[in-house]
Amino acid sequence: MNLYQHTARELSRMLREKECSAREILQSVFDRIDACDEKVGAYLTLDREGAMAAAGRVDEKIAAGEEPGPLAGIPVAVKDNICTKGLLTTCASRMLYNFVPPYNATVMEKLETAGCVVPGKVNMDEFAMGSSCETSYFKKTHNPHDLDRVPGGSSGGSAAAVAAGEAVLSLGSDTGGSIRQPASCCGVIGLKPTYGSVSRYGLVAFASSLDQIGPMGRCVEDVAALYSVICGRDPMDATTARREYPDFASLLKGEVKGLRIGVPKEYFGPGVDPEVKDLVHQALRELEAAGATLVELSLPGTDYALSAYYIISSAEASSNLARFDGVKYGFRAESFDGLTDMYEKTRSQGFGDEVKRRIMLGTFVLSSGYYDAYYNKAKLFQKALRNEFSQAFQSCDIIATPTAPGIAFRLGENIGDPLKMYASDVCTVAVNIAGLPGLSVPCGTSQGMPVGLQFIGPRFSEERLFDAAYAFQNLRGGSLCTIPELG
Amino acid sequence: MNIDIRHIAKLARLTIEEDRMEKFEKDMADIVAMVEKLPAVENQSLALDPADRMELRRDEIKPSLRREAVLQNAPKTAAGCIVVPKTVD
Repeated sequence: MNLYQHTARELSRMLREKECSAREILQSVFDRIDACDEKVGAYLTLDREGAMAAAGRVDEKIAAGEEPGPLAGIPVAVKDNICTKGLLTTCASRMLYNFVPPYNATVMEKLETAGCVVPGKVNMDEFAMGSSCETSYFKKTHNPHDLDRVPGGSSGGSAAAVAAGEAVLSLGSDTGGSIRQPASCCGVIGLKPTYGSVSRYGLVAFASSLDQIGPMGRCVEDVAALYSVICGRDPMDATTARREYPDFASLLKGEVKGLRIGVPKEYFGPGVDPEVKDLVHQALRELEAAGATLVELSLPGTDYALSAYYIISSAEASSNLARFDGVKYGFRAESFDGLTDMYEKTRSQGFGDEVKRRIMLGTFVLSSGYYDAYYNKAKLFQKALRNEFSQAFQSCDIIATPTAPGIAFRLGENIGDPLKMYASDVCTVAVNIAGLPGLSVPCGTSQGMPVGLQFIGPRFSEERLFDAAYAFQNLRGGSLCTIPELG
Repeated sequence: MNIDIRHIAKLARLTIEEDRMEKFEKDMADIVAMVEKLPAVENQSLALDPADRMELRRDEIKPSLRREAVLQNAPKTAAGCIVVPKTVD
């Protein structure tokens, strides 16, 4: 077995027992990248020197007899919308093709303190707008389980890198499903944390009231450990909650006896693939056999969540992306006639079609005469949906649903039809609208492709979600993810 | 609904090429038709939730980025400033 195939938990033990060094782990990951990233296309930028130096520092620490910490020396791939000091951060857009941040996102500072090693930055849909990674300006990322299919999105590079063994863990960001849906498509575990639990400082903003950075990995313990590293109050992000967080990985018990799992009928409707429904039901029956109670319930607001999501997220995007004007950073059009023309040419040449569509939709719903009918209505609906979830959590502890309505689609299949693309977020957007945590775990395969099961909990109930997922992982023999051969 | 794409594009400081206008108009009309499905919500206000209060950091003077670091990404600079086209005649 090669080092890149291990989980972080195993590698951490091996490091402590001096069975391998952090540099050897990183080299194994780079060898794997060299062997298969030409096919997968997960990475946009590699930082071989910086990563090797970071791994070297971990080795020195261990040699000096210091306690390295649970994720020291573990390679973590980072989505390219998270600012990395001195390392390109493009948001997979022509608009930021040359942007080198002069500062680190708070999560990057936290990774550094924990001794994590960053091999590079990974692909995504442009400005995190998309569900397939196909709107990236630079390249297509392929699903490691079938190279003709998409990895999902927008954190498709983060999911594909972990699935292919090109990273042990990764960070993504999730505004409407962008961690969970690609995790489902690529057969890995992904957490969209409670809004306000992870700092957004240094995350290039898409929809600030919904965006949240989160971890992805190949076992529940690893994802819980990375979440423990990145969560917490940050004075640089006023929306982070002031509260204490435990070490989530050490709290895993895998106990579901007495756990009430809500099963909302709206998530099993005609838009969801029958095989996906069967696999999720099968998983739920296993949890029931292990002592959990299934509670049928209804979340009628689900049917409207997608509408509210596209209004709110696009409105915020149109405002957030106004900063890209060719003045302070990034792309500037070569020829123009005056300031306004510079703005228009820069933005028209710098943004791709999907980003333009979202900016236009957002501008429309906020424009004079339409604000009340769209934006205000969506914000009111958001409040009603939050109440609906709160009520549901009076009769259950967590909710279980499919993560995505189907398996990963083929490259090019939906790119020409925005509405078909948007429909792949139908099971995930409500979680963002309500500010809740959502965790996707693989629960089987359909046509050889992974299918995800999503656990949703009340705000700040990550511990409960991890434990349910850990119990499920134990029921499935201790492992939910497999790394494909890839020649 | 008839959406004035040219007007919205102007507000957003975007230009849509003439040959792509038709596809953009159709996509926008489809998307707006999709988001229009929202039901009216009664008895809700958008008042801030006291449980969700935000706490701003103190407004203190602290060392910040060096000027070169701030300017390193600007498309055009001169004499420590960002260069833009003439804005006032």
